[in-house]
Amino acid sequence: MEVRLEQVSKRYGQKLVFENLNETFESGKITGLVGDNGAGKSTLLRLIAGLDTDYTGHIYYNGQPLSKPLYQQMTMVFQTPYLLKRSVYDNIAYPLQLRHRPSAEIKQKTDAMIARLGIEKLAKQYAHKLSGGESQKVALARALIFEPELVLLDEPMSGIDAASVSFMEQMIQEYAREYRKTVIMITHNARQAEELCDRIVHLHGASTGGVC
Amino acid sequence: MDYIIAGFWKALDLIFSGDAELWGIVGLSLRVSGSAIVIAALVIIPLFTFIGLRSFRGERVLSRVLNAMMSMPSVVVGLLVSVCLSRRGPLGHLQLMYTPTAMIIAQVILVSPLIACLTYEMVKHRGREIQKLGQTLGASRIQSTFMVISELKSELFIYTVNGFSRAISEVGAVMMVGGNIKGDTRVITTTISMLNSMGDYAMAFALGMILIVISLLINSVLYTYKEKRADV
Repeated sequence: MEVRLEQVSKRYGQKLVFENLNETFESGKITGLVGDNGAGKSTLLRLIAGLDTDYTGHIYYNGQPLSKPLYQQMTMVFQTPYLLKRSVYDNIAYPLQLRHRPSAEIKQKTDAMIARLGIEKLAKQYAHKLSGGESQKVALARALIFEPELVLLDEPMSGIDAASVSFMEQMIQEYAREYRKTVIMITHNARQAEELCDRIVHLHGASTGGVC
Repeated sequence: MDYIIAGFWKALDLIFSGDAELWGIVGLSLRVSGSAIVIAALVIIPLFTFIGLRSFRGERVLSRVLNAMMSMPSVVVGLLVSVCLSRRGPLGHLQLMYTPTAMIIAQVILVSPLIACLTYEMVKHRGREIQKLGQTLGASRIQSTFMVISELKSELFIYTVNGFSRAISEVGAVMMVGGNIKGDTRVITTTISMLNSMGDYAMAFALGMILIVISLLINSVLYTYKEKRADV
């Protein structure tokens, strides 16, 4: 899914976060969003995710404004994930249940995802009791299981162990490459941005620029 | 002093002998308050979860109104329901006055602000984060609402049980709309009130003890539930 921003501006009261932002996030690419604290990276992801509609300008998804069917094709993973007070299995299966997928498909996909994460022993445990790294892996798995066209990642790998970071990076990379999906991720990690992203967008507050 | 001790022993005898009148009163109390709390919870919790997930002008006003209504005196509720259900009232043709249905209506009105206020504040405080997650996973508004209810079910259950405690222990509203008719609308609180004025303490003590046991059971259930949820 291609995401195009046209003259997007955002204010919080009197405070201007960014102004007249024009940017295109290409389909099938991983784009890293970098910038100083307060530059508006998380705000921008929230606008793209449709969680905040109080802005001026236009955001187009494959040339279309945001609509209900498009909501169903995107997802976002937050820095601090909220895991439902259910088992790990139920958390991962939840997006498929929301879409009323057949139970056989839900079971097959969820089992496969749990095997991929290597957390078969934790499948029946309450998800909100997992450690930070495991929580983030489950949150990412839950976000990817319904194969969204657009994945928005708000620093999901900050503050977790190196092994979990490496695993998640691989998962994101495989997902974007194999399925040709769009990923936009915020990162403060220069190595991660360099190795994982096809392109980096620097957000400077009032404008954006810089491509690698 | 002797009459108090004698009343106490007679009360125990009434309880353990399975006195039909006494247990009939207890049964009606549980049915009326149980029905009221189930109706109020089924309507109010989804409604105020839905409202709590929305941002709109007047949110603070709504909070204040709900807070104020929580402490609405039960006699005022009884008066309003009486006026509506009395023969000359707008709903007089339904002939519900002095029936258990009228008592249920009064108790629904009495406990609804309590459940509404607590639900609304909880959803505003914690529900919006859950709703945000639902949105990012593709949930519709209705699905998000039920997702929030599911996630906050422990707290909502506790509010509902608190509502039941208020309903079963109130006397003003059920007395006014039920009329305390023997075998028909006589519940624990109205009977205790009546027997006290008559100086018949045995039955009053028995009902008082049962009311206290119900209250202790409710609190015990809540305490156990809270402990179990803390372990989860």
